[in-house]
Amino acid sequence: MHHFGTLRPLAALAFGLLVSPAAAPAQNLVVQSATEPPGLDLTATPASATAVVVFYNVQESLVKVDRHGKIVPWLAERWHTADNKNYTFFLKRGVRFHNGRELRAADVKFVIDRAMNPETKHPYPGYYAAISDIIVKDDYTITFTLKSTSANFLLNMARQGSVIYPREAVDTLKSEPIGTGPYKLAEWVRGDRIVLVKNPDYHVKGLPKLDRVTYRFISDPNAALAALKAGDIDAAMFGLGPEHVPELQKDPRFQVIIGETTNDVIMSMNNSRKPYSDVRVRRAITHGINKPEVVKGAMFGLGSVLGTNVDPLNPYFVDMSGAMPYDPGKAKKLLAEAGYPNGFEAVLRVAPQYYYTVRTGEVLAAQLQKIGVRIKIEQVEWGQWLSRVWKDAEYDLTIIGHAEAWDIANYANPKYYFRYDNADFQKLFAESEITVDDKARRELYVRMQKKLVEDAPVVWLYIHPRLAVTKKGVQGIWKDLPLPAFDLSEVAWAK
Amino acid sequence: MAFVATLFFVSGLVFVVVRVLPGDPALVIIGPEGSPEAAARLREALGLNRPLPLQYVEWLTNALQGDLGVSLQYDLPVGRLIASRLPVTLPLTLMAALLMAATALPVGLYAARRHRRAGDYLAMAVSQIGVAIPGFWAGLLLILLFSVHLGWVQSGGFAGWSVGLWPGVRSLLLPAVALGLFQAAVLVRATRSSVLDVLGEDYVRTARAKGVSELSVIGKHTLRNALIPIVTVAGVQLGQLMAGAIILESVFALPGLGRLALGAITARDLPVVQGVTLFVASSIVLINFAVDLLYVVLDPRIRYD
Repeated sequence: MHHFGTLRPLAALAFGLLVSPAAAPAQNLVVQSATEPPGLDLTATPASATAVVVFYNVQESLVKVDRHGKIVPWLAERWHTADNKNYTFFLKRGVRFHNGRELRAADVKFVIDRAMNPETKHPYPGYYAAISDIIVKDDYTITFTLKSTSANFLLNMARQGSVIYPREAVDTLKSEPIGTGPYKLAEWVRGDRIVLVKNPDYHVKGLPKLDRVTYRFISDPNAALAALKAGDIDAAMFGLGPEHVPELQKDPRFQVIIGETTNDVIMSMNNSRKPYSDVRVRRAITHGINKPEVVKGAMFGLGSVLGTNVDPLNPYFVDMSGAMPYDPGKAKKLLAEAGYPNGFEAVLRVAPQYYYTVRTGEVLAAQLQKIGVRIKIEQVEWGQWLSRVWKDAEYDLTIIGHAEAWDIANYANPKYYFRYDNADFQKLFAESEITVDDKARRELYVRMQKKLVEDAPVVWLYIHPRLAVTKKGVQGIWKDLPLPAFDLSEVAWAK
Repeated sequence: MAFVATLFFVSGLVFVVVRVLPGDPALVIIGPEGSPEAAARLREALGLNRPLPLQYVEWLTNALQGDLGVSLQYDLPVGRLIASRLPVTLPLTLMAALLMAATALPVGLYAARRHRRAGDYLAMAVSQIGVAIPGFWAGLLLILLFSVHLGWVQSGGFAGWSVGLWPGVRSLLLPAVALGLFQAAVLVRATRSSVLDVLGEDYVRTARAKGVSELSVIGKHTLRNALIPIVTVAGVQLGQLMAGAIILESVFALPGLGRLALGAITARDLPVVQGVTLFVASSIVLINFAVDLLYVVLDPRIRYD
């Protein structure tokens, strides 16, 4: 049954220490996770199921995005740049990997060099494309030289693909990742659970507060709800739907945490296909959608209405939700101008693996019917969606949540499945990437957002809310998720 | 010979089906936020660009030597993954089968003996409900009653056999009931009709006329002769229990073979899908073979040359 026979004594030892009579009562947390990670190597998979367990809990990065979305020093205690092209990081001293060895600048160089190497098959090579050289000055000092200024360089260093691991552990990242994080992996029982235990040598004093975290894989939302009610799990951080919220809010045993995320749910239109290549048609469709009603109908009223790509957790967010208001009359007029006075038929492809896509699609179909756009909903399995819609852009309309933070770059990529190809926007974006001055950059972001609203390449619907449910007494859980990270270092039971 | 031919056919079919399905394993692994170039490189590394017949021959050669390949998502040998899931799925199926037989045979027999009387109608009505209720729903209802309201058993998950026999059995109890009792409904009906057929035979009437005790009439003359169709249905159902386990393992969050298969299909983990399918197909072929052998035991007139 157990694959990690060698790790079990370790877990048993840790557990034994916890239950020894002299120790304070053990602080354990059992968390539901909807999907089992497809491996625990953050440099090989973009899966959020992997990030849920590993990112910030087992492995950490040079800098970190905190719960307020701010980039803060982490494994690097500070950084310095005079010209925004050469960044020098000064590593915190005495930080130890879970194997006991101290973190050195050479490890950082190894990790980022490896991420940049095409042979590695890193899921996000683009994040490191701006780097031209990495120089280790001494054991605790490392300098990154960039080809040109890159506004997102620090953010990219804080992302899940940039976690630092010891070079000697590179071959076992997939099944036994080690890092510098507050927890270390104790066991992974395939198909059932992953157990993390406290890292007693953690470099932040007083953290973590929990002794043991168990992730149990429960895919069925109703089964997760039953497990919560039966007391078998302490928290469901992901996987419960908005329909469960009203019932749980009334239950005095639980607390429901509803927060913001960077997951913008959009209906994309294939900009390279008729009739969506006509901006009037795209605007008509946007005007034909009543977004507050979509949130009500598909999400039980949870989730904020979105007007453009930039989400409310982003510092350059501008509220554009009223820019293209629901106006069926105007929508019909625009359709008539574009040569479709009687509307047209469209296929909306959704992947039921993400329940909200189907529900949202049903509401949209009913709304768009009123302006003459007759929608046929086609459900495709996730693997098919990735191949046909995302890779080959073989679709009219589709709905999906884009979970990544700072993803406006997708609109500047004409090969992306939106197939939105606009030279003006691409120019603005390229400029924003090399503009480091905050005020100037903000101005560019505002202009980009306005341009996007005008061109309506997709319909931005709503932000998928963060829905977490825990037993009363669980404290320190992040309310908002400025990055798809699920940091449990500060989580504890109330005394 | 038929055994080998069936497996050969199944392996080829599965190999082709999982590959013609739209959906690219590399894309699923790398995800929608990853770059297409990274996906292309991964596809190359996974050997998915090579000609299909070549991939099949290679896989088959290895499979014949007991090597089912390495899982794309777990990076572990498929054989080891399957073996690690058997301690859940096999006892679950076995417990469900025992429950099924222990309920269906007596109830079916009882209904046949009470033919067209209240007991018969009641048994038929209850079994009709059992046939109509899908297993996953029954599973959820059982969780609500026994875990959430009564708190007798865990709502899901598997305690593991290393902790002891009882914790293991306890975590499989509810799913086994959901799986077995509701499959039993079908077997009740088969038992009833088969026993009814035999009860109408001349030799039963003769036995009764001779004054043979009722116990002997049912036990010796009826049941044994009625068993052949019952065993046939039960054999088919044993296969269905394994299929039903796929869904119930998800509802009860059990780390069994079914959940392995389901996750592998979603993740396009082709070696695992092939391995599990081959394993389940072999098991079903073996069950059918066992049923054939059982015929000989039950009815000495049957001979296989």
